[in-house]
Amino acid sequence: MKQQLHANRIQLTYATVLSWTSTLGIIFVITGYLVYVFQLLPSTVPPSEVALHWHLRAAELHKIVPVPSGWDWIYQLGRGDVLSYASVVYLSSVTMLCLAVIIPLFLKENDVIYAVMTLLQVLVLVFAAAGIVSGGH
Amino acid sequence: MNQRCCKTIGSIFLLTLLSGMLLFSPAVAFAVQSQPPVQTEWWVWEIALFVFSFFLGIIAVIAGVGGGVLFVPIVSSFFPFHIDFVRGAGLLVALSGALSAGSPLLKKGLANLKLALSMALIASISSIAGAMVGLAMPENIVQLSLGATILGISVIMLLSKNSAYPEIKEPDTLSKILHIYGIYYDEQLKKDVSWQIHRTPVGILLFVVIGFMAGMFGLGAGWANVPVFNLVLGAPLRVSVATSIFVLSVNDTAAAWVYLHKGAVLPLIAVPSVAGMMLGTKIGARLLTKVHTRVVRKLVITLLAAAGLRALLKGFGI
Repeated sequence: MKQQLHANRIQLTYATVLSWTSTLGIIFVITGYLVYVFQLLPSTVPPSEVALHWHLRAAELHKIVPVPSGWDWIYQLGRGDVLSYASVVYLSSVTMLCLAVIIPLFLKENDVIYAVMTLLQVLVLVFAAAGIVSGGH
Repeated sequence: MNQRCCKTIGSIFLLTLLSGMLLFSPAVAFAVQSQPPVQTEWWVWEIALFVFSFFLGIIAVIAGVGGGVLFVPIVSSFFPFHIDFVRGAGLLVALSGALSAGSPLLKKGLANLKLALSMALIASISSIAGAMVGLAMPENIVQLSLGATILGISVIMLLSKNSAYPEIKEPDTLSKILHIYGIYYDEQLKKDVSWQIHRTPVGILLFVVIGFMAGMFGLGAGWANVPVFNLVLGAPLRVSVATSIFVLSVNDTAAAWVYLHKGAVLPLIAVPSVAGMMLGTKIGARLLTKVHTRVVRKLVITLLAAAGLRALLKGFGI
């Protein structure tokens, strides 16, 4: 028997968006990191200084060095460490983007249950990203 | 005979690799543990972390376990980073692995979107709760509970027996309402296999618990997702493994945001881990047919148990 693909249109769309966004994410993460460690752009906190404190709890480290966290980096994108952090933020947003794309497709197919379920899932992730349900400040 | 010989050599090589990882781990080599790495340049740790994650990636694929579950207990034992950052990096390791593996599995119809979405919604909320609790707990309690969890995972991995094609006589009402069923082409059987599930409410409850633990410890949760999909819900093993990766990408995204907001993600720790693990995973997939996977799996379970024990001892202040 010849192999047939059994994925439906929605699943294929999700897979295509995921493939592009995650590949872009990996490239972004590695580029951002190299820019940071080779100091190609000025940094808020140089790697050597972060390394002096990475044995501390996250909360303690942030009291000593202002490394990017949450969304507090958004106006400093020209800095190496911020760029590297932004790439990690992008990677953490890929699933949200992919899920958001398939909501209209579920609606088009009159699959209200999964349209609502996916919308709720996106909202949970958006709230987490905004710091509303994830203890952001 | 030749093939068996090659496999034995391959297994011995990996055994040596595992022992090397422990013996020449940076903590031993530089005699530094939880103290600030004053004498060691930061870039040495970066390279060590990349190399360590690379080998971990090779071994994880061969042993059939997710990288995240190995990463947190081992890296927190042998590197000078605080466990907050190791958990943050662990989540990103598991997340990036799931993102890069997800697309082909969805295209082949092995991962099922409806099955995954039904389980992931509530599980992702509990994953956020788990991450918040985990980051608020005192360090020794984190170490103690991580140690106990890792030892538990070792036992599950040692004892669990998967069922390739479970027979479900009657799907439950909820799975009928949610239209959770499917068909995929099985390359081993060379034919289409259709499947359905049962015990959906029990599965959802178990995913709530799994999500909480994954968020709390920054572990990828394939070790628990797969048995629940396969043994509790009755999905075929291939569908279980593939859909588990999808669920993992949703749950780990939710938990990762808590770690990002709490400042527990340092690119200096997360990126070399992600890059090393992804590269290692690709090499590991190529080595898969050249080594005795059962031997490696047992070794990894032993390594995991040792890391769990070490975390427990750390928790007790020993």
